[in-house]
Amino acid sequence: MKLSEIAAKLGARVLTRGPMGAQTAGNAVFDDVEIKRVYAGDKMSDLLNAASSDTIVVTHLNNQQLIRAAELMDIPAICLLHGIVPDDDFIKALGRIGTILMSSPYGMFETCGHLFQFLNL
Amino acid sequence: MTTHSYTIVGNDFERAGLASHNVKLLLKKIGVSPEIVRRAIIAAYEAEMNVVIYAQKGTLYFNLSDSMIDIEVIDVGPGIPDIQKALQEGYSTAPDRVRELGFGAGLGLPNMKRSSDIFEIKSTLGKGTRVHMRIFLTQQKTERANSISLRVMEELCNQCRKCLDACPTGAIRLRKGKPEILEHLCIDCVECLQVCKTGAFSVDCRCGILGMREMAELVVPESFLVQFGAGVRPERVIESIKTLGFSDVHIILKWENALCKAVMQYAEEKAKVLPVISPLCPAVGNIIMLRYPSLLRHVAPFLSPFEAISTQFEKRKALFTAICPSQCSAYRWNKSTEKEKVISAGLLYKAVAPIVHGAKKEKTPAPPSARRRARPTFATLNVSGIRHVINVLEQVEDGLFRNLKVLELFACDQGCFGSPLLKENSSIAYYRWISERMATKSPMGQALARTSSLAARSGMRLDADMSKAIEKLGAIDEVTRVLPGKDCGLCGSPTCASFAEDVVLGRAEKIECVYLTREGA
Repeated sequence: MKLSEIAAKLGARVLTRGPMGAQTAGNAVFDDVEIKRVYAGDKMSDLLNAASSDTIVVTHLNNQQLIRAAELMDIPAICLLHGIVPDDDFIKALGRIGTILMSSPYGMFETCGHLFQFLNL
Repeated sequence: MTTHSYTIVGNDFERAGLASHNVKLLLKKIGVSPEIVRRAIIAAYEAEMNVVIYAQKGTLYFNLSDSMIDIEVIDVGPGIPDIQKALQEGYSTAPDRVRELGFGAGLGLPNMKRSSDIFEIKSTLGKGTRVHMRIFLTQQKTERANSISLRVMEELCNQCRKCLDACPTGAIRLRKGKPEILEHLCIDCVECLQVCKTGAFSVDCRCGILGMREMAELVVPESFLVQFGAGVRPERVIESIKTLGFSDVHIILKWENALCKAVMQYAEEKAKVLPVISPLCPAVGNIIMLRYPSLLRHVAPFLSPFEAISTQFEKRKALFTAICPSQCSAYRWNKSTEKEKVISAGLLYKAVAPIVHGAKKEKTPAPPSARRRARPTFATLNVSGIRHVINVLEQVEDGLFRNLKVLELFACDQGCFGSPLLKENSSIAYYRWISERMATKSPMGQALARTSSLAARSGMRLDADMSKAIEKLGAIDEVTRVLPGKDCGLCGSPTCASFAEDVVLGRAEKIECVYLTREGA
């Protein structure tokens, strides 16, 4: 499923839309990324194991290390929970590396439940 | 070859991950395949984070040659008190403030091990830790002849040299106090595992306890179900396994029976040479490929039961219990890169035992006993134990047993009941199984035809160039002549003949023979 579709269906607030350049160039990346897998959790090692370039990461974490992991593992998108908006530095850093950031209005359980349905898992 | 080094500062979470980031950029620049990059990055990042979390400072060395990536991380820090424990999934000593950042899942070292082809760790308390990880760029691991699942934990070896004598193919060397398996000779049997008192050998199953959670069904060998003492019926073991979260438990026996039937039919209708060797045990297959290639045409063209069930259930969310290293390797041959869904029987035992013994000791009524194993006894010879197997194979090669239809050979004593990964004595376990055998609901097993035929392994090859090989053969003879012929094993090779070969092939030095140096002095 396309990332833009997921964000719309979930009613998530989109905070970054891919690489900085693309933001002005009509959201090309945001619309293109196809998501096939979900990783939900807050354990970094677990995330490294599960992440791939078609995985959306659903997590409570919003720290420097998550940015690093996203960059290293080419994670296309991160979904934060409870509508939380992290500080500007975090958003900017993700914008710089081109990871899409959104914030789901729901908690972990409901968010995952929706994603499970959307992706027909 | 290029070497890069990066400094890592302890507790600096801002810059943590930079070294791994640089490694990634380098790998991308030279165009390494994404899967290899991914493994290298996981290995490097986990190692780097360990330095940041636990140590004062450290260095990551990154070494690239045309065939492999070496990542070495050396730190100055507290060291690891118990490496065995640290290698267990889920074990962590991370402080709370680190856990809040998402670390401390107890998966760091296991992740590193899983991501690398060779993983070594040394740690000195109060001084620091050194981790070395190697990843091969060419797909060496998937090549059939080189793929074995026995692993050595050097730290646990006390140089008793029992394994040298035990190995039926002479594949173990003990140089500089470290055991080493010559992969081209190893057949993945369990002799070394069996004799090692310190537990320096282990089966490299890449799925740990955590991997179990993702799976819905579990495949176990029947021998696993009789490991929990006399009063515990197989049914109770299955119930206990189900409480771990598996909805269904399948027993390999069904596939074994299907294979036995198919092999018998093959022997009666199609086989060109008798006796037909039933491909029940992958380790026996290995030794035939290595030592008795002329007998390959005797092997019935089917997959072993373990291979058959893992192929049939490939698409399901099923976890397979490997009872020995050869099953683990057999799984790997069939599926190249996919995530492995094999757990070692030893690990599963640890998970199940507390549940079985904790369960209320109700007396389960004995169910109507299932039909006896469909094994025609008249034309089948059943041999177990690798030494007996070798003996029988030699006689088959000499042309004996022409009247026999089917040979069922097992590397372990009493077949899979004798795996050293299991606790119970093999004969007792087997007796318990046949006296308490049970009916199961799992779908009928199938015998699957083998698509790629077994090929001889070039075990002893001295040199690719025939004339050089002959030269070396002469040199080996010459060295053998001056050796005492006592096969004492003090040099680290199992026999004088293998030592001579090691000397000529550059794996050992002549002075390592104590008898030679004593006479020379």
